Amino acid sequence: MKNRSLRSAMTTNTFLWGWALILPTVIGLLVLNIIPLIATIYQSFHKTGDFGKGNIFIGLKNFQKLFSDDAVLQSIINTIKYTIAQVPFSVIIALILAVMLNKKIRGRSIYRTIYFMPMVVAPAAIAMVWRWLYNSEFGLINNLFNLNVNWISNPSIAVFSIAIIGIWSDIGYNMILFLAGLQEVPKDYYEAADLDGASAVQSFVHITVPMISPILFFVIVTRMIAAMQVFDTIFMVMERSNPALYKTQSLVFLFYQSSFVERDLGYGSTIVVVLLMIIMFITALQMIAQKKWVHYN
Amino acid sequence: MQRRNILSVIVMHGVLIIVALIMIVPFVWMVLTSFKTVGESVQLDPFVFFPSEIRMEAFTRVFTTNNFLNLYKNTLLMIAFRILCAVITASMAGFAFGRLHFRGSDIAFSLVLIQMMIPPQIFIIPQYQMISRMGMTNTIFALVFPGLVTAFGTFLMRQAYKMLPKDLEEAAKLDGLNIGKTFLLILAPLTKSSLIALSVFTAVFAYKDLMWPMIVNPSKDALVLASALAKMKGQYVSNYPELMAASLIACVPMIILYFIFQKQFIEGIATSGGKL
Amino acid sequence: MKKKIVSLCIVAVMTSALVFAGGDAEKAKVAPSKPLSVMIWDSNQEPGIRLIIDDFTAKTGIEADVQVVDWNNYWTLLSAGAQGGSLPDVFWMHSNESQRYMSNDLLLDVTDRIAKSSLIDPKNYPEDIWSLYTYNKKYYAIPKDIDTIALWYNKTLFDEAGVAYPDENWTWDDLYQAAKKLTKADGSVYGFCNVNTNNQAGWYNLIYSNNGYVISEDKKKSGMDHPNTIEAMKWMEKMINENLMPPQNVMSESGEDVLFQSGKVAMTLQGSWMVAAFRDNEYSYANCDIAMLPLNEKTGRRASIYNGLGWAISANTLRADDAWKLVEYFGSEEGQLRQAELGVTMSAYKDTSEKWKNSVPRFNLQAYLDMQDDMVIRPFSRNTVKWENAVLDVMLKVWSKEMPMEAGCKEAARQMNEILAEE
Repeated sequence: MKNRSLRSAMTTNTFLWGWALILPTVIGLLVLNIIPLIATIYQSFHKTGDFGKGNIFIGLKNFQKLFSDDAVLQSIINTIKYTIAQVPFSVIIALILAVMLNKKIRGRSIYRTIYFMPMVVAPAAIAMVWRWLYNSEFGLINNLFNLNVNWISNPSIAVFSIAIIGIWSDIGYNMILFLAGLQEVPKDYYEAADLDGASAVQSFVHITVPMISPILFFVIVTRMIAAMQVFDTIFMVMERSNPALYKTQSLVFLFYQSSFVERDLGYGSTIVVVLLMIIMFITALQMIAQKKWVHYN
Repeated sequence: MQRRNILSVIVMHGVLIIVALIMIVPFVWMVLTSFKTVGESVQLDPFVFFPSEIRMEAFTRVFTTNNFLNLYKNTLLMIAFRILCAVITASMAGFAFGRLHFRGSDIAFSLVLIQMMIPPQIFIIPQYQMISRMGMTNTIFALVFPGLVTAFGTFLMRQAYKMLPKDLEEAAKLDGLNIGKTFLLILAPLTKSSLIALSVFTAVFAYKDLMWPMIVNPSKDALVLASALAKMKGQYVSNYPELMAASLIACVPMIILYFIFQKQFIEGIATSGGKL
Repeated sequence: MKKKIVSLCIVAVMTSALVFAGGDAEKAKVAPSKPLSVMIWDSNQEPGIRLIIDDFTAKTGIEADVQVVDWNNYWTLLSAGAQGGSLPDVFWMHSNESQRYMSNDLLLDVTDRIAKSSLIDPKNYPEDIWSLYTYNKKYYAIPKDIDTIALWYNKTLFDEAGVAYPDENWTWDDLYQAAKKLTKADGSVYGFCNVNTNNQAGWYNLIYSNNGYVISEDKKKSGMDHPNTIEAMKWMEKMINENLMPPQNVMSESGEDVLFQSGKVAMTLQGSWMVAAFRDNEYSYANCDIAMLPLNEKTGRRASIYNGLGWAISANTLRADDAWKLVEYFGSEEGQLRQAELGVTMSAYKDTSEKWKNSVPRFNLQAYLDMQDDMVIRPFSRNTVKWENAVLDVMLKVWSKEMPMEAGCKEAARQMNEILAEE
């Protein structure tokens, strides 16, 4: 009897501490993000008037229009293609680099700084460089290797060319997170493995990956979400006149066009709601799957 | 054994150098373009790699038209306060989500995830209206406002707290520490490397954020680096040498800071706080 | 010990944050908002606009602070301001957006002020520009500038090919014949260049010169399927199919201006807003010049699409009188002359652009002024961008040789009519 009330007192205590600690974040998220989200969901059921005035409730009409809109269906395919191409490479390459740079290797601070540079270089410079690299007539890649590939204007490959830019820009971000995670792996684990005669690959698979799996999980989840929201790279590199745009534009790109260029907030909001549902579904799958492979101490 | 080691070091350097070359291209591009003439900067065929001579005109023009001291000051304040807010709120919430089991935590955490799933563009107008109603446009507070809390950081810190060994709390309990003290005295110090990663991210995101500062702080004295650069992009065409010169002046301090900082980030931790 | 220091740091940081969140916010204010706030989107015009404001301040003692926000963010900011209730005091208006702002009472009605003003007389500005900023017979902005279209050509490439420069007798067929001679078989030079998305400076002019139209007077019907429109657009189809222009993907990847500035295309149609860019590029400055658009032989017309911005005042401004004085000054003969003379843009006020002509003596800017004789206002409706984008997307298929021009024009008209029906 006494034991039970002690436990419930502890539960109450934990409850109070827990809520006290998350309160600033929860309030902040509610005010800054969740209220705008609710407004977005509200708009998706309306034919929106100018400047938030004169909205007319139209039920599911926006959704009906969306599901019969070829451009939207195509952009969902584009977004998924991009995600499948971009996320695995940006994660694996970054992980390998992070493991290398975590070793006592000469010049590693220089390497780490260079890998950080794409994160702060001006977007205009990034756009200029890639547009020139990919330019089919005058670009470096085609001229160097004597190719004749329309990297960003061939509808069947442009989305992958965009994914390469995405991989390139994300490697630095992911590497920083992995480096932080690697710090938390105790050195004696490796020493023990070394004594057992384990190879570098073996200790990577059996020690490093399980030990940093919470961070690995975090990187994969956040990168998937970010990849599903790809916008900037497409916006920077492709013009409206590009023949491959239709087979490259993402859902967020379409949302931006609807809401900010064509001023159809209702339809734009509908796209966001659908995007949110897709991402929620994928993330929920990952949250369930993590129980199989993520090791928490 | 020895020879295998040397070989693997060479292979590693080979890989690292190739990746480094790929990563550094846009930076080199910025440097070269900033010295070019306008014509050279867009010349296609033959493409101009190296400027015909080193010209400083773009730099002098950019320096005279922008008040970089003020831009750095506003940017730095924005970054500093955003890091401060991120570190505090994300640590608190990350600890609670990662280590405490209490009712409602799952629902609250789903808010964190949902925030990340929404394209950030939809927050801009509502958040602007809040700032505008508070009469706080063109202030440092306006710049910090969307970064008061961070879903990304909360998720990151939750993972960091989850990685820590389970027996830490037991030991703290034996010492008679309550939850708050356990958090502050025992666990928080062990997440230093994740906190630094969070700070780097917060700094880079804040530095790169363009749309928000542009909209909320358009006044000349309240501009930050990113919005000053965005302003330079013309509606139809841009003067690339000037744009690149300005971008270079903007990003070099960030790179130097990171270079100094990253030693702390990795070597510093491995020898001290990293032990469990 | 170390742990203690770290946790002490965290506590210190927390308290300072509380202080910051509580009291410091007010102090953090960077600038007091005393001068009139003026918002524009083109940083190229900023220095000139500042000089004009300086003159104004010297005269009236009223100060104004210019804020530049790039084109995309400008409209996001304005619509956020419109919903949240705080617009800048004075700002630029564009025909793509003006209808929505006027019909929602966001702009100050200046009709009475114009009537009383000794400086502003509507008949000194092109009537069409007024029409962009008129709603229910009330004026909501003062014309700022106009832009017209002309033909840019590369003298060096013309000399090499032995082709005579374009002159005022040129017809569209002359342009076609010249393009044929200028185009090199190896693809290193193309005679002409007009990417599908360049409508205002490009193929719209063909349509109107041929007495076709893009949108009907009452803004209810598309003119894309009008026989005259289709006939005009067939000229463009000829240019596309005979490869006298670079392939669509090349025009899209590199951009018309860059191709022209790299000597890859010999002719291109460009608006007067591009003059500064071609002046600052030493290749185009040395090798290129401007001529009037060609004449349409059948109709005898030489139409130029034109457009003009307006100076608008927020309906909610607390200082309507001061804001009006500033806008009145920008629109006055003196302000308009100054704008032209500083080379900012062509001015809307009648006969003030002579001074603009001399701002770049090397270029024949007179061509742009001459194009003012037959001007057609840029096609617009309440939601221009929406149908414009739909039309551009159909034209993309024609330019990519996936669809014949006639079918493209009809499809474009169908989609456009659907969108117009919803307006």
